Amino acid sequence: MAAAAQVFTAELAEKHVHNQKFSQFQFELVEPLEMEFQAGQYVSLAVSKAGYRRSYSIVSTPNNNHGFELFVDVSPSGQGTQFLSNLRFGEQVKVLGPLGTFVIQSQAVTTPVVFVATGAGVAPLRSMLYDQLEKFGTQRTMTLYWGLRHEEEMCWQEDLKDLVSSFPNVTFHPAISQASALWPLCHARVTDCLNVHELDITAEYYVCGSSQMIMDVMKTIIARGVPEAQIFREKFY
Amino acid sequence: MSVDLNLSSPQSAAPVSQLQQKQIGKYRVEVIREKCISAGSCVAIAPQVFDLDEEGIARIISQDGNDDDTKLLAAQSCPTTAIIVTDIETGKQVWPPVFEEVKS
Repeated sequence: MAAAAQVFTAELAEKHVHNQKFSQFQFELVEPLEMEFQAGQYVSLAVSKAGYRRSYSIVSTPNNNHGFELFVDVSPSGQGTQFLSNLRFGEQVKVLGPLGTFVIQSQAVTTPVVFVATGAGVAPLRSMLYDQLEKFGTQRTMTLYWGLRHEEEMCWQEDLKDLVSSFPNVTFHPAISQASALWPLCHARVTDCLNVHELDITAEYYVCGSSQMIMDVMKTIIARGVPEAQIFREKFY
Repeated sequence: MSVDLNLSSPQSAAPVSQLQQKQIGKYRVEVIREKCISAGSCVAIAPQVFDLDEEGIARIISQDGNDDDTKLLAAQSCPTTAIIVTDIETGKQVWPPVFEEVKS
């Protein structure tokens, strides 16, 4: 059962700029020192003195309960991303969490899971993927579809290559909609891939992205026979 | 003359300051439907006050389901400031700030 949300103080411990679009922020908890969360949940950060808050999914796994990492699309340059980008190492933030019910539903490892994300929507799914691997190793079949516009936006390339080569139960499909001619893999949207790939209709599907993306993915996979009850979604805005 | 509140007695389980902080019913919340984008953060933070209707739009199910601090946090978490919080004692709008923050 998910822990009740509470207010934490955390400090910025590390920041990794993946590329112009995505950055990853690692926070260490100061008070209380531990946060019990489930893979897929998110936190709400106070991003201004006036009280405005923004929600960010946790990209790290619950295995590390003394901190959390956020994977953020910093390109929109809104209030939240400006706040995070200007944050200095050691600077403290007020965080409310853990929040949300977008977590793995089936505890049976025989139930395959398919993760479908666009952009920073991959954050909760990456947490779920690694959490499942930490818990069950090669027992659960998992597929990740990650849609991006340009190949320059891709992150964790070496990690993902290692993951796929180390775990035969994991398949990764990057879908680059506006890829250059040099990109060797799918030049497509995730929905294009889901339209042509063989889909497991017994799997649970976890979809995270914009409202439109979620609607498009649901329409596609339901049309291909996936029961709606097996689709779980989290909207990014 | 001072009054001994005897805060350690079983009848006073919580300090007065805490009771004042957790007072229920001082804040009234209101959802502007046109601004709601169904983010659902209000429901996650204050599930006894907010839920989503059949169109996915936030609605009030009870003004007293969660305490005032939680109601305010829920309103502040809304990315489109679709929730207005009013202090019913003073009649003043608590959230969003009446004068938007100006970034330098």
